[in-house]
Amino acid sequence: MDTLEKRLVRLARKGDTRAFAEIVELYKDKIFHLAYRMLSNRHEAEDVVQDTFLRVYRNLDRYDDNQKFSTWIYRIGTNLCIDRLRKRKPSYSLDAEMTEQEGIDGYAMIPSDDRTPESYLIVSETQRMVHEAINSLPAKYKTVMILRYLQDMSLQEISDVLDMPVTTIKTRVHRGREFLRKKLERKI
Amino acid sequence: MDCKQAVSLMHDLLDDDLDRECAKELKAHMLECPACRERFRQLEEADRLLYGFNHRLQPTSDDLTDRIMSVIPKPRQQSALLVWVKRHPAITVAAVFVLVMMTSALSMWNADKQLMVKGAHLDGVVIENNKVIVPSDKVVAGDLTIHNGMAEVYGQVQGDVTVIDGKVFQASTANISGSVHQIDEALGWIWYQITNLFGSGPSLP
Repeated sequence: MDTLEKRLVRLARKGDTRAFAEIVELYKDKIFHLAYRMLSNRHEAEDVVQDTFLRVYRNLDRYDDNQKFSTWIYRIGTNLCIDRLRKRKPSYSLDAEMTEQEGIDGYAMIPSDDRTPESYLIVSETQRMVHEAINSLPAKYKTVMILRYLQDMSLQEISDVLDMPVTTIKTRVHRGREFLRKKLERKI
Repeated sequence: MDCKQAVSLMHDLLDDDLDRECAKELKAHMLECPACRERFRQLEEADRLLYGFNHRLQPTSDDLTDRIMSVIPKPRQQSALLVWVKRHPAITVAAVFVLVMMTSALSMWNADKQLMVKGAHLDGVVIENNKVIVPSDKVVAGDLTIHNGMAEVYGQVQGDVTVIDGKVFQASTANISGSVHQIDEALGWIWYQITNLFGSGPSLP
């Protein structure tokens, strides 16, 4: 399943830029959507996509063939997103948020370009709420939830990408889901 | 089963990570606990909303690929020779070996430009410029070998006369008991070296 990517990687290692361009074509949308959901900012998301591929290119020699290529590139992309989120705002605990019920929401502090094209793409009120609910998740839960729901990954795949035990991922999905359930309570 | 346990199982169910036995227990609990039924309905709905949100995806900029390709460093252009060498290490080693051997053989050949006279008893031999003369009243006991020079034999040689890269002139008075060889070419020189190596006196094919 992953053989096409592996073949392209082998060619790109030898300096074949066209093979690398094909890798970019295969993954730019996936990484963009991951980054866009993580950062809610189109410009930043495209920066992350660019940085991801630059890092992939520089580390082609270090890519281990036994690993799925998608896992590797998602790991790079996810880490870049998390770095950006960390620089952006102070981290806060999800537990604190959950016990204080409707406290100050994290998303109030996150810059977002909601008023740009996204505002007419999010047509329904429900869509807007889901968007805001995901945005308000603390980074470590946000990452897991985006990989789980918006990238359609299994718990095992998420665990491979984030290099964390499956049990940790499971706990985070559970907590993230509870968090979103409360956020969306009015809608459901 | 208490409600806290039930909620944990609900999440496992939504993650497709619950075995049949536990699922049955959860179902039994929910049938008699309206609060958990409501909780599960909400979680399922949140799940559905999240999956539905997936479809609202924005396209990337058209020029994103070009932008990425313009920032990646250009690959070092390897010369065709280097690539070939990397692909054929054995042939390369063999070629280098042959080259080294050829140059050393050639340099040996070229270094032999000066006159060299070899022989067991050279007392009577006269050397003028690059001419080796055996005067008519002299006797050379043994072989006489001359490199890069002329040989003029007037007297007696009790053995072979070998001239490499040169000429032999035998006067009528000359008396050579062995044979006379003239070697002019590289090939002959190599043959001479080989036959010399195996002990027997030089003899050209």
